[in-house]
Amino acid sequence: MTRVVGLAVLVVAIVAALGAPVLAPHAGDQSFRGLLNAPPTRPHVRGDDGTWHRPFIYRWTLVNQLEQRYEEDRSARVPLAWLSGGRLVQSADEGRAPLLLVGADSYGRDVFSRMLFGARISLGLALVAALGATLIGSAVGGMAGYVGGATDDLLMRASDFLIVLPAMYVVLALRAVLPLVLAPSTVFLLLSVIFAVVGAPFIARGVRAIVRSERTLDYASAASALGAGHLRLLARHLLPAARGFVAVELTLLVPAFIVAEATLSYVGLGFPDPMASWGTMLHDASNVRAFADFPWLLAPAAAIFLVVLGLNLVLQGPVQAGPNFRTPTVRLKPDTTREHL
Amino acid sequence: MGQLLTRQTQHVGIIIAVAAALAAAAATGACRSEPPPASTAPVATRSGAPAVPRGGTLVASIRTEPRSFNRLVGRDSSTELVSSLTQAKLVRINKMTQEVEPWLAESWTRSPDGLRYTLKLRSGVVFSDGQPLTSADVVFAFDAVYDEKAGSSLADSLQAGGKRLNVVAADPQTVVITFPAPFAAGLRLLDNLPILPRHKLDAALKAGTFANAWGLSTPPSEIVGLGPFVLTEYLPGQHLILNRNPRYFRKAADGTDLPYLDRITIEIIPDQNAETLRLEAGQIDMMTSEIAPEAYAPIKRAADQGRVRLFDLGVALNPDSLWFNLKPGAFGADPRAAWLQRDELRRAVSLAVDRKAFADTVFLGAGVPVYGPITEANRTWYWAGIPQPSADLDGAKQVLATIGLSDRDGDGMLEDGNGRPARFTLLTQKGRPSVERGSNVIRDELKKIGLVVDVVTLDATALIERIGTVNYEAIYFNALMSDTDPALNPDFWFSRGSAHFWNMAQKAPATDWERRIDELMTRQIASLDEAERKRLFDEVQKIFAEYLPAIYFVAPRVYVAASSRVTNLTPAVSRPQLLWSPDTVAVTP
Amino acid sequence: MTSGPAEAGHYILGHYILRYILRRLAFAVFLVFAVSSVSLVLAWSAPGDYPTESLGIGARPETIEQTRERLGLNRPLGEQYRDWLARAARLDFGRSLLYDRPVGDLIPERAVNTAVLALTALLAATLVGLPLGVFTGSRRGGVPAGAIRGASLVLLSMPPLLTSLLLVFVAARTGWLPIGGMRSPGAPAGGITIDLLQHLIVPSLALALPLAAMFERLAAQAMAEVVGQPFVLAALARGVPRRRVVWRDALKAGLRPVAAVYGLVVGTLLGGSFAVEIITAWPGLGSLMLAALQARDVYLVVGCAGAGSIFLAFGTLLSDAALALVDPRVSE
Repeated sequence: MTRVVGLAVLVVAIVAALGAPVLAPHAGDQSFRGLLNAPPTRPHVRGDDGTWHRPFIYRWTLVNQLEQRYEEDRSARVPLAWLSGGRLVQSADEGRAPLLLVGADSYGRDVFSRMLFGARISLGLALVAALGATLIGSAVGGMAGYVGGATDDLLMRASDFLIVLPAMYVVLALRAVLPLVLAPSTVFLLLSVIFAVVGAPFIARGVRAIVRSERTLDYASAASALGAGHLRLLARHLLPAARGFVAVELTLLVPAFIVAEATLSYVGLGFPDPMASWGTMLHDASNVRAFADFPWLLAPAAAIFLVVLGLNLVLQGPVQAGPNFRTPTVRLKPDTTREHL
Repeated sequence: MGQLLTRQTQHVGIIIAVAAALAAAAATGACRSEPPPASTAPVATRSGAPAVPRGGTLVASIRTEPRSFNRLVGRDSSTELVSSLTQAKLVRINKMTQEVEPWLAESWTRSPDGLRYTLKLRSGVVFSDGQPLTSADVVFAFDAVYDEKAGSSLADSLQAGGKRLNVVAADPQTVVITFPAPFAAGLRLLDNLPILPRHKLDAALKAGTFANAWGLSTPPSEIVGLGPFVLTEYLPGQHLILNRNPRYFRKAADGTDLPYLDRITIEIIPDQNAETLRLEAGQIDMMTSEIAPEAYAPIKRAADQGRVRLFDLGVALNPDSLWFNLKPGAFGADPRAAWLQRDELRRAVSLAVDRKAFADTVFLGAGVPVYGPITEANRTWYWAGIPQPSADLDGAKQVLATIGLSDRDGDGMLEDGNGRPARFTLLTQKGRPSVERGSNVIRDELKKIGLVVDVVTLDATALIERIGTVNYEAIYFNALMSDTDPALNPDFWFSRGSAHFWNMAQKAPATDWERRIDELMTRQIASLDEAERKRLFDEVQKIFAEYLPAIYFVAPRVYVAASSRVTNLTPAVSRPQLLWSPDTVAVTP
Repeated sequence: MTSGPAEAGHYILGHYILRYILRRLAFAVFLVFAVSSVSLVLAWSAPGDYPTESLGIGARPETIEQTRERLGLNRPLGEQYRDWLARAARLDFGRSLLYDRPVGDLIPERAVNTAVLALTALLAATLVGLPLGVFTGSRRGGVPAGAIRGASLVLLSMPPLLTSLLLVFVAARTGWLPIGGMRSPGAPAGGITIDLLQHLIVPSLALALPLAAMFERLAAQAMAEVVGQPFVLAALARGVPRRRVVWRDALKAGLRPVAAVYGLVVGTLLGGSFAVEIITAWPGLGSLMLAALQARDVYLVVGCAGAGSIFLAFGTLLSDAALALVDPRVSE
């Protein structure tokens, strides 16, 4: 059940990302000059006089520019326009009273639209990088744990090296050798690789520990005695034991990657400004006023939370199970062992 | 009353200065006397306030650590701040009036040809360790700043017409300074130079290690000075503590000792948000920089509740600017070289950007359009006649068409004669909101006339490195001018200058208009006739506005705030706005 | 019940541990060397150097060149590297250009500050995160377990920069706690004082909260797997109280993944956090490293990276030891 909920959340996120051009009321880089940090325009169905209407919004008028205070202009209702201009919904008066479902950012851009467009970069990058980190980490950790000895030492020390290397300087040095203007696809590829390599050691360590301890279990020795190949033993029997651990690590790495993208753009290796990503949106919101006056700027954090929750529910479904529920990992082992016997 | 007292001191200072200058310069008539300081801020204590409170600790904050305790080596604002608290100069520029005041030198005379100044030192002045100040210390300070091995970054600013001043000690209380050439700004440039204790630093200078002297690891007791405070503790990454210098020379008008404060604590707070929050919460008394536009509202709320006082200091002196790389041949075989360095491109850029929209987005409306490097904050040198064309997209497009940039394939964006898109990279500094946001606005505005701008943000060091190695297409940045008088910013105006950013350190002027500016500035700096200087500098600004080697868009309004327990403040528009006159600042217990 | 092999090998354990530790030490030395060398190369390859940065924009090229010469930065990099290596071998790690002090003096000073912060945060995170994880992992659904899990995920979704800023913001608005620095000016500069503890709360919370969330998640997952294992079921079937099964028998196995990453966490924590130390103005290794990076103070960068690698080597060793403790099968 929880797994279904989780899946639903993820599907919604992915649909939102893919459908951004239709679902978002505005382009990600469209700015409304008079609406810097404007609050969300709440859709209403009931007017001040108590009459019912089709959904409408009120226009924001600037009260104090330097303090960025707005007031709702309740004198006129601005109806919502559905399915016009290739967008699902906009306001009928986009020029003066744009629909800002989650408010506007410091350039007067629609936060909701930017979140939808940003989902493409952030989710895409985080998922690709997390997948890469899992593959590299599991391979390295699995090998180190299974083979042991000098290989183990070599691989684990190499991963220690990666963890402790000041990533900031690697990126600064990269920035120096790469051309100044990079195509978004290049940036995507570059960041995916960097994140995968940086994230892998964390997975490798855990996987190694699990494989190392599982290897000595009866079922593994038995499978080995029965002539199961090394690779088969590792891939079919030992690595699956680390599934739970990898699942947790994924829920740790995905938000970390989403956020780290903003850190890298600090040294000039991220996606350039008009492109939205959740990380850079949050980075821009990292100021005192966001907490006090513009909480909607923190909306990407909520989006990250939902995605992580979805991932968590899908990947860690069995966590909720009690003692009489056997996790797939555990169930797998006796069964397959018996098979070989 | 308290405020009145300090105002009197200032007046007395000005009167002495004016009198001295009058006596000396009667022959050339080169005396500029400004009306008394115009009030720029609502200083509440001005009318009928009680006597200035004595004692107490003021807590200020800086963002970055000082680089050195040796002002001759460090060029950063924190070093400058600590130096201004612990050291004193021969003359001081009053940041409120922008005029010269007597300081360690209590009076001076000028020779009829305007080249030789004879300065009389105040008597009875002693360093914080009790050693008396003599003219030998003044000569020593000049020796140190001009020392080849010391390589002081101040050396350039203490020159007239590219040559050094000659400084001689006539007697223990008298110094004779001879300028190599007529120099209009005169003693103004002495405001740059702290007078250092010869008895502490002579050995280092003789040994050729002056550049390493007074580094951050020096024990605070070794840092001796003539300023109102002495360094008593420095904890790297945490704070500096400066105690009152009981031997400080200056007295208030009522004859009582200055400074009023017992102690200044300077906290090092790297993050601007944390700095703002701590000011709001009353954990610090003031920041040493201006309030960022985005921090205005919370500070305003605190001001409305009476916890802090907010000062509007008017338009800033140094607006951010955009410049293209104008070094001949900088783009090599790049086909864009045909238009990237053309004057028309810069005119079109200046014409295309809507400065009102710029001010709204970058400074939340708290800024005024500017069209050149000198803003109205510079009361003496601002040229009111500067052309102020309003934004004109069609006009800008027409200008670009004259250099072969037009929309050839109907995509709404411009191409050059060979169909290559009109596109350039604009570098700016990461983590500095005004230039980051400014660049983004420029990008959006230029898109409207079909120019594609790729904004790339770099960390400050990488950016400075690219400027130094002339490896860029265009840059949006802020370069501070050291003084309001153009004669003290020759490195910016002259084509040979190191701050002539668009084409630095030219051997001979690359363009005709730079040659003309060079000539005008040479005369401007040498002339001793103030009206003539003003006319010449207006002419320079006119040429600058026509060729736009650097394009200016908006100058922000400067706001500063101090907790309401700080009194007797004299805020000025240049940094450190609240602490430029630290000896008269006071706090109520 | 899983301690059989370890007991069997007891008589050679001493010898084995000695060899193991020696090998790890050798690796640690190599790690420190490799990380330092690579950081030095990276530091050099970053655009700009200390004189460019410190003299700033508009400085004359001659002045910059002169400063380079004075600081010895104009020599060929190979020579500088050899020089640095030769001195490092004698435990002289060069002089910080930024702070004008030997790197070897500066780093321990800041490392102590970071350690105070890191260990406080680690202690808090462990004491809170682990028990909560065991609780949520051994529980079937329920509101408390769900709430804890949700809170963990919220904390994991927040960028560290934002968490620190939020805490500082709350501290400032409530006025309960000092919001920056390590000690009040004028307070005694050493020892554990009330003042220090007050200053410690905000930054250590900023570090501990996401950490606790991570521990909780790791422990919960492992517990959920363990409580499904036959030995736990068997114990329950024999009538051993559930509480005892969970907290005594299952816990050991549930700690395994936490133990595996614990050392990494200790290592990286001791290396200092950029975000937290900058926002809360904590004078630790993280803010030192950032300052060094920005100023291109190469030897200080190398020193920080080297210190980080020592901590990490120590951390991984600790981790492996902890792992061997909770699960002796892991060791050979």
